[in-house]
Amino acid sequence: MKRRGMSAIAAVAVVAAALASTASAGLTVAAKTQAVSCKSTLKIGFTAPFTGGAGFLGNEQLSWAKYAVKTLAPKYGLKIKIITGDTPVELGPAIAQTVAQKFIADKTVVAVFGPSTSGNVVASSKAFFDAGLAHISASATRTALTKGLTKSATPAFFRVVPGDYIQGPHDAHFMIKKGAKNVVLFDFQEPYSQGLADAAQLVLKAKGVSTTRLSVANTVTDFSSFVTKVASDADFVFFPTQKPADAQNFAQQLIEQGKKAKVFGADGANDSTAFKVAGSFVSNFAPDISQFSYNKSIIDGWKKDNPKETLGSFGPPAYLAAQVALNAIKRACDQGGGSIKDRRDVVRNIKRILVKNSILGGIFRFSTKSNDPLNAGFYIFEIQRDGRYKLVG
Amino acid sequence: MDTFIQLTLNGLTLGSVYALIALGYSLVYGILKLLNFAHGDVFMVGTFIGFGAIQLLGGTVNPIVPVWTLLILITLAAMAGCAVLGVVIERFAYRPLRDAPRIAPLISALGVSFFIAYSMQLLFGSELRNYDTFSLDGGALYLEGFDIGNVRVPMIRIITIVSAFVMMILLWLLVSRTRVGKAMRATSFDREAAAMMGIDIDKVIVFAFVLGSALAGAAGVLFALRIPTYATIGFLIGLKGFTAAVIGGIGSIPGAMAGGLVLGFAESYAQGYISTRWSDLLVFVILILFLVFRPQGILGKADIRKV
Repeated sequence: MKRRGMSAIAAVAVVAAALASTASAGLTVAAKTQAVSCKSTLKIGFTAPFTGGAGFLGNEQLSWAKYAVKTLAPKYGLKIKIITGDTPVELGPAIAQTVAQKFIADKTVVAVFGPSTSGNVVASSKAFFDAGLAHISASATRTALTKGLTKSATPAFFRVVPGDYIQGPHDAHFMIKKGAKNVVLFDFQEPYSQGLADAAQLVLKAKGVSTTRLSVANTVTDFSSFVTKVASDADFVFFPTQKPADAQNFAQQLIEQGKKAKVFGADGANDSTAFKVAGSFVSNFAPDISQFSYNKSIIDGWKKDNPKETLGSFGPPAYLAAQVALNAIKRACDQGGGSIKDRRDVVRNIKRILVKNSILGGIFRFSTKSNDPLNAGFYIFEIQRDGRYKLVG
Repeated sequence: MDTFIQLTLNGLTLGSVYALIALGYSLVYGILKLLNFAHGDVFMVGTFIGFGAIQLLGGTVNPIVPVWTLLILITLAAMAGCAVLGVVIERFAYRPLRDAPRIAPLISALGVSFFIAYSMQLLFGSELRNYDTFSLDGGALYLEGFDIGNVRVPMIRIITIVSAFVMMILLWLLVSRTRVGKAMRATSFDREAAAMMGIDIDKVIVFAFVLGSALAGAAGVLFALRIPTYATIGFLIGLKGFTAAVIGGIGSIPGAMAGGLVLGFAESYAQGYISTRWSDLLVFVILILFLVFRPQGILGKADIRKV
């Protein structure tokens, strides 16, 4: 009797589980196939640090993405609203997951700009992929996001700027060209700087340059002891921080201790209002976009909307990312007969986008082998006495 | 040898700041037997007041006053602002709990600490604030100074170290040579007996908070002259100041000075000779070792209990 009773309970449990599973499967399918009319206002999520040490980056990108949406969306017959999710770098990658869930839960969000940092891509790409949301970054450069046997981002992740696999070696070759014999490389115990420092160190070592690697927690602000460890004959300190104020502080402390090494910051330090020690370098994925005549009207329009802002190098890639996303959304709308039947339709269209006169120069298209831009480059700037960033490589 | 001298200089600079913070802990603990864990956040507010004062004085590129006047004014502004904050904290977070069990003001102190840190973060954001002293007088504070062997001792470090020592000496003179200092010592020794002798205990306590908080404000400016600050920096720096106070002997003014310097040197040498990653770990290992083997600290007196 007891055995029969147990069997009955087990059977009920199995049936209940099967029903629950079917119901949840149905819900998932329903969520994925819920069509969104392209005549209604569609949303694009923007996840980036808008506050904190890297807040300048997110705000610069946002101003350009907004400008792109304002000027380009009407041309495609789209009504687009950007919604933001702040991910200060000081809070680590956990906050990126929270922001991702917020975007995923909103069925009118059809694509995402960002995440802006590699660590946040790693933290949220899987969730975006499961929800079928394309996420296009204008600044996440870690190589492993798109390359290698175990990619740390999903196929729904795209970037319009090249990764560390170009930046690290490019920076290293520049230092070698400048006669570097001894280089100290820093990482900040997080993916962005570790990837860059690894890539640069590999090239430097291969070319016979003496290298020293120092690792510092992302929360450290007093670099005195680290500066003490920099050899007096070091030529460069490769310092890929995401906080330009730290690069400034480090460069000041080098001078304070009488060290002659020049600071070489990467794109994360590229902020002329915060990092301004003359003779230092930064590298970035965008050149001076004003050199391309076809950008004049875009720059003028953006400046009109943002009269207090200066033209930096984080913003233009965000414009390009928005251009790519809007193109893909338009195509998905056309294919869906005026509605986006599944967010994955946007993902599927992104790789096919071609921009003839890219704001970053030349033709933009994605590589067929990875979700990276084809033939993209990095650019090196030297900080001048008046604080200007001059393109030198 | 150069590395040793440089690390010693780093330790002395850092230790001077820790010592000023530790003095605030010791002053309050000596009188109230209260661990004021909000003290680190008062320090942080001091760094922000200094930053704001610099902006009001025209910034560092083209300040509207001479460099030395600017440095003095921002320090005084931070000291005054923090002194007021200290009084407010005492009045609203500690005084109502003065007769409560000792755990209550301790929890209140932690609450005040988080309240200040996150209020500042909400008000001013979490970005780093750099005083940009490098732009003052064409970088003179970094480029001028003197050399010990091959080691540069720049003006900015001299300012930090000398100012901290001057303030420590002034405080020591105030506590040991003045009438109000005598009242503080009497209150610290036996609060009830001091009250019976006519000392206004409330005034003494408020004065201790004013002094301690003003020193934290000064420490904040001296720290932020060289290092960027942010809204939550006070927690870790405050813990280190507390550790310095324990090492020196909490409640002892010379002890707080000694503890701050010992901690600064320990951290600097650990970063230089052991590992930069392990320096914070070492700081708190030292704290545990002192608590276990010498709870009265270097210069504190052992607690004698009569049975």
